[in-house]
Amino acid sequence: MRIQIRQTWNHLFTVFSSMSVVLMVAALLLFLVPMLGKGMSAVFFRGTVEFRKMQHDLYGLGSESTLQKEIAATQAARDDIYAIFDRFSRGIDTDLLAGEAKRLYRDHGDELRYQNVPKDEYTALRKQAKGIRNHLMDAFESVDKAEIFEHLDAVEAFKSDASLKGTSVEKLIAMAADYRNIAETVDFSKRADYAEELDAVEEELFRLFGPRPGVERALAMESYGATRWDVVQKHLHQLVWQESWVLSEDGQQMVQKQVRRDDPKEGSFAGTQLAPMFALVEETVSETLRPRRTFYWRYFVQDSTPGHYFGGVGPEILGTLLLTVLAMCFAVPLGVISAAYLVEYAGENWVIKIIRVCINTLAGVPSIVYGLFGLAFFVEYVTAKQKCITSASMTLALLVLPVIIRASEEAIRAVPRTYREAAMGLGAGKFRTFATVTLPAAGPGILTGIILSLSRAAGETAPILFAGAVALGPIPDFAGKWWFQPTRALSYGCHDITVGDKLAMMVPHNQYGMVMTLILLVLCLNIVAIVIRSRMSKKLRGY
Amino acid sequence: MFEVSEITEKTKSESLTMESIPISKQSEATAGKIKLDGPASASQPETPITPERAIIQSRDFSFFYGSKMGVEKINMDIEIGSVTAIIGPSGCGKSTFLRSINRMNDLIPQTRAEGVLSVGGQDIYDKSTNLVNLRQQVGMVFQRPNPFAKSIYDNITYGPKLQGIRSKAKLDEIVERCLKAGAIWDEVKDDLQKSALALSGGQQQRLCIARTLATMPKVILMDEPCSALDPLATARIEDLIAELKGTYTIVIVTHNMQQAARVSDRTAFFCLGKLVEYGMTDKLFTNPREQATEDYITGRFG
Ligand SMILES: Nc1ncnc2c1ncn2[C@@H]1O[C@H](COP(=O)(O)OP(=O)(O)O)[C@@H](O)[C@H]1O
Ligand SMILES: [Mg+2]
Repeated sequence: MRIQIRQTWNHLFTVFSSMSVVLMVAALLLFLVPMLGKGMSAVFFRGTVEFRKMQHDLYGLGSESTLQKEIAATQAARDDIYAIFDRFSRGIDTDLLAGEAKRLYRDHGDELRYQNVPKDEYTALRKQAKGIRNHLMDAFESVDKAEIFEHLDAVEAFKSDASLKGTSVEKLIAMAADYRNIAETVDFSKRADYAEELDAVEEELFRLFGPRPGVERALAMESYGATRWDVVQKHLHQLVWQESWVLSEDGQQMVQKQVRRDDPKEGSFAGTQLAPMFALVEETVSETLRPRRTFYWRYFVQDSTPGHYFGGVGPEILGTLLLTVLAMCFAVPLGVISAAYLVEYAGENWVIKIIRVCINTLAGVPSIVYGLFGLAFFVEYVTAKQKCITSASMTLALLVLPVIIRASEEAIRAVPRTYREAAMGLGAGKFRTFATVTLPAAGPGILTGIILSLSRAAGETAPILFAGAVALGPIPDFAGKWWFQPTRALSYGCHDITVGDKLAMMVPHNQYGMVMTLILLVLCLNIVAIVIRSRMSKKLRGY
Repeated sequence: MFEVSEITEKTKSESLTMESIPISKQSEATAGKIKLDGPASASQPETPITPERAIIQSRDFSFFYGSKMGVEKINMDIEIGSVTAIIGPSGCGKSTFLRSINRMNDLIPQTRAEGVLSVGGQDIYDKSTNLVNLRQQVGMVFQRPNPFAKSIYDNITYGPKLQGIRSKAKLDEIVERCLKAGAIWDEVKDDLQKSALALSGGQQQRLCIARTLATMPKVILMDEPCSALDPLATARIEDLIAELKGTYTIVIVTHNMQQAARVSDRTAFFCLGKLVEYGMTDKLFTNPREQATEDYITGRFG
């Protein structure tokens, strides 16, 4: 009977412990897999011609001639789209037309002055031109079709006037003919709505194709269209579909409704000359953007444009490695020496007990406190008020020091006494024994502590927040005093790209990409340390 | 380099005499201080050891772990070049006494020694004692084989390197000589760079003995060297002890009375921290003087 109870307990214990293991693994997978999956899209994606253009302009990659050919081909396909768009927008954006009319009128004055026309004739011609212009402007301003055509007729009455051939006034008259075409198809009562919708369409076209040829933008992020196929899909959808909030039924909730902009019944551009453009964009999108499978491994080495809009995380990786390695350089010798002192030399008096308590307490201090301490001490006194790599890595070193001391202490204590006795029995002094026998035997245990602290140091944001990390900044200059320069870091970058930077919100793949890089980097560091450790223990075991 | 090797050669040739590398700087001055003609105790062996032949002399030596007594008032001389066995029930202080001879107990905090324990005429618990010199002259082999996690070669050269020997040729020579003396050369000569931990337990223990020999000790202390080994390996170690006898003074603690009878010239019987009986081995085993000894060796005790 009692044996049965004990067996039941055993089974229960087995079940619960295996369940907890499964749960832990599942939680880890649930957390890591989506993170890594989304992050991978920063590296594996379908890059469009805009991506290749950007890589060529910003980083000098790719062959010039093939790119030019590709750009020419896509531009030809885009021109058809822009032709439709431009024709329609001229009818809507009458401010533009009015401006053009005014400019032509001014040009006409210049022409006359240039030709040295006599004064009376000049006055008469200008008066005539002004009349034409005013009719045009009135036509542009009006929303009443009859009135518009009246004005346009008045302008076009001058069409047959031979004396106006070759002058700017002739162009004014041509504008009138153009506008008549538009006026015949456009519902002018909806002009304000069109103008608003047209702005949205223009914005989406810009997001897809980038600035029109010949237009130079100052910011890199405004100089290129959609570089990735997923972004293309997103903007294509926003271009074609309009969203509106409508009452589902009277007195019921508002629901979101999606309608194609060229929908013959409800679409905002139904029946206009613009309507065919949407289908055209959809049909030719692979021609206008040329998506191609891209393995963007340079993500891990390239610098980025402000806000991580384009480019990679090279400087962040470099900065994190610098900070981590430097922090370890500070923390490991100090930690191991402290541990050795505590185990081998220090007795068991109350000072040592207090020191132990302090170390344990330090291990539990929130990392932001370390960050503030780093600012108040290392930045203030050690690095001459410079937020820099040295002060940041010293702060990190301080953070991981307790962990390293504790792990090393345990490891050194765990070395069998017979090892020490063997060395001492051969005449080795205390220090010799420690350096040649105890320390190597404790190596794997100490490395475990180092592995734990490596991940911690690489991933912590708070300690470096004030002590030397920046979100934007140059790559440390290795020709100069790089240790006195601030640096970017993955952990801080993840923080900044998530909460600090509005631009980054537009590039979620880069947000996840940075997190993925941090995870992978920590993983790689750990793998390296674990390989070293297993080599070491293998050597210690002897087989 | 030449000087060093000369010194070692000298040490080797003089390993049977008592004055060699001084344990302390004042060895000459203090050598005569110890009175060897103290009151003969009951534990004195029947065949007396002349003061010139006594390499280890213990006079009212007591050792304490804190307030706990380890051994008490031991009076015992150990003859140069002989094998001395220490037997007795567990916890009677055999290891304590043995480890006192090269001050291995110093590693344990809060220990204290009283009386006189001298090696080669020098009181080793004197402040002037150089522990490094002492331990090089009094080597130790432990209960469990404890080779370093290094190659066989590095294990042997650890001691000589501490003494400052750096010449590759010299070290090679030492390695070969010690491994041969440790009766393990034939088994390992093909791969001296192999990790010592890859050897079997018996091989490891012989390697540890060889490692001890490499520092040119005059005395080798063995604390139950065979207790972790199988009978075959034990037999090989015993053969080795017989070979080393004469060249080295050996003190061996053992639980195995046949072993004590086989390998030793003299045997000391410890009980409850005291030396009960000390005498020639064949005498002690066949005709013990004390009742306690007889009880112990006939198995009626502990
Ligand atoms: N490190 C130690 N601390 C305290 N007491 C010890 C220590 N080592 C041994 N002793 C005690 O000293 C006595 C003698 O021990 P030991 O010399 O190891 O006996 P054995 O004859 O079995 O080798 C024992 O009573 C033991 O409990
Ligand atoms: Mg013992």
